[in-house]
Amino acid sequence: MSAAPIPPAAGIVDCAVHPAPRHPDDIRAYMREPWRSRPFPGLQRYFYPAPNGDFDPAAGPNPGTDPDLVARHVLRDRGAAAAILLPQTRGLLPDLDLAAAICAATNDWLAAQWLDRPGFYGSIRVSPADPVQAVAEIERWAGHPRMVQVAVPMQAHQPYGQRLYAPIWEAAARHGLPVAVHIDSASGVELQTTPVGAAAHYVEWSALYPLNFGVHLASFIAEGVFGRLPDLRVVFADGGIDMLPPLAWRMDKNWRPTRNETPWVDRTPTAYLRQHVRFLSHRLEGPADAATRAKWLSLTGAANLLMYGSSYPAWDGCDPATAVAGADSATATRILGASARDWYRLAGEAAQA
Amino acid sequence: MRHRVARAAEIPPGGMVLVPLGRRGVGVYNVRGAFHALSNLCPHAGGPVCRGDVTGTTVAGGAPYAQEWVRDGEILRCPWHAWEIDITTGRTITDPTRTVATYPVTVEDGWVVVEVDER
Repeated sequence: MSAAPIPPAAGIVDCAVHPAPRHPDDIRAYMREPWRSRPFPGLQRYFYPAPNGDFDPAAGPNPGTDPDLVARHVLRDRGAAAAILLPQTRGLLPDLDLAAAICAATNDWLAAQWLDRPGFYGSIRVSPADPVQAVAEIERWAGHPRMVQVAVPMQAHQPYGQRLYAPIWEAAARHGLPVAVHIDSASGVELQTTPVGAAAHYVEWSALYPLNFGVHLASFIAEGVFGRLPDLRVVFADGGIDMLPPLAWRMDKNWRPTRNETPWVDRTPTAYLRQHVRFLSHRLEGPADAATRAKWLSLTGAANLLMYGSSYPAWDGCDPATAVAGADSATATRILGASARDWYRLAGEAAQA
Repeated sequence: MRHRVARAAEIPPGGMVLVPLGRRGVGVYNVRGAFHALSNLCPHAGGPVCRGDVTGTTVAGGAPYAQEWVRDGEILRCPWHAWEIDITTGRTITDPTRTVATYPVTVEDGWVVVEVDER
C-alpha cells in the first residue's frame, strides 16, 4: 500500500494500544484474597495462534510490558500525542466475582504503572455479565483524569443491546465515557466463534470474528439503547468498518416494514451511527489500491466514523500511513487524531495539536 | 371527474371498497365516519396497497421497552412489503416524503363521491 502523506501537525491519537503485565500473574499484586491465590487463565489466545506469534517482533521480547519502550514505539517514533491503553482481561469467566476481581486489579495495575506518564490514557475494564459490579467499577474510576473510556470484551453470552446490560451503558453515558468493544485474549467459557460453529483456522477466525460487532451494533439499535441514552458512545476497536455499510443498508431496508415491532427506534438505523458509533482502523480493511481506497472512503462515509488505532504490539497492527492510505489531508487529520480528540474529549497534552 | 362509488351506508366505519378508477383502482375507506380515498398503488414498490390490512400501529411508551397500540383502524399495511400508510393522509409512516396518492371525497345525497381525474 502506498504511503499517504501524514500531515505534520496531525497530532496523532492512537486509540488502541494493548499494554500487558510483564508476567500475566503480576496483576495479583493488586488483588486481595481470596482472589490473589485463585487460579485463572493467562493472556494467550488458546485456539487461534497467529502465524508468527501474536506480537510484532519490533515490540521486543516482552511486548507491550515496558511503559518506556511502549511510549517510545507508539508515541515518539510515530509522532503521536496520545495513546489510549486497552489492556486485555481473561475472557468470560464463569465465576463472575473472579472476573470482576481481574478487571479491578487490571485497572489498578494500569493506573499505578502506566497512567502517570505523559500521553497515556486508560480504559476502565469491566465484566458486563455482572452489571452491578461493572457499574461499581465504573463509579470507582470515572473521576480519574486519565481514564477516558470503559472497555468490554467482544465475546458475550447475549448481544450488548439487551436489557441485562442497560445499567452499565447508563453509567458510562452518565460519566461521558465511550465504551470500547474489543476481542479479549484468553478463553473463558465462551460461545462458538461463529453462530454455525467454530472456525477451524486462523484465517477464518481473523476474517470473521471482528464482524461480531454487527450483532452488538444491531442489538444496541433495535433494543433502543441509543434512543434512550443520547450520550452513549460505542467504539468497535477491532475494526470492521468495511462491513458496516452493507449491514447498515440491510437494517435500514427492513426497519421500514418492522418498525412497529420496535417503536422506540424512531429513525433509520443508519441515523444513529454518527452520534453513537466509531470504528478503529485495521489493516485488513478496504481495497488495497490507494486510489480505489480514496473512493471507498468517500462513498461509504467511512472517514466520518474511523479513528486510528495501532493495536500495538499485535502482529497485525496498523501504522498511521496504512490507516490513512488514500485519504486526503483533511480526512487523514480527522482519522489520525482530530476525531479521537473530540470523541474522547482529551485534555492535557493530547488536546494540543 | 366525479364518480359516485357507493351508497354511504354501504361503507360502514372500518369498511372500505376498492373501485376501478384511475390507473390501479382506488380504495375508499370509512375511518370513524370520515371517508378517505387512496390510490391502490404503493409508493415504495408499486404494490396493491389497498389490498392490505387496515390496522393500527405502535409508538414507544414512557418506560423503556413500553409500547402502545395507537391509531387502530387508521393504518393501512401494504401486502407486498408491509410499509405502513396513514389512511387519513396517504403518508407512509417511515418516510413522509413517500405518499400514496389521495383523492377528494364527499358525501352527496347519500352517495360517496370521489373525484379522480387520471385515467
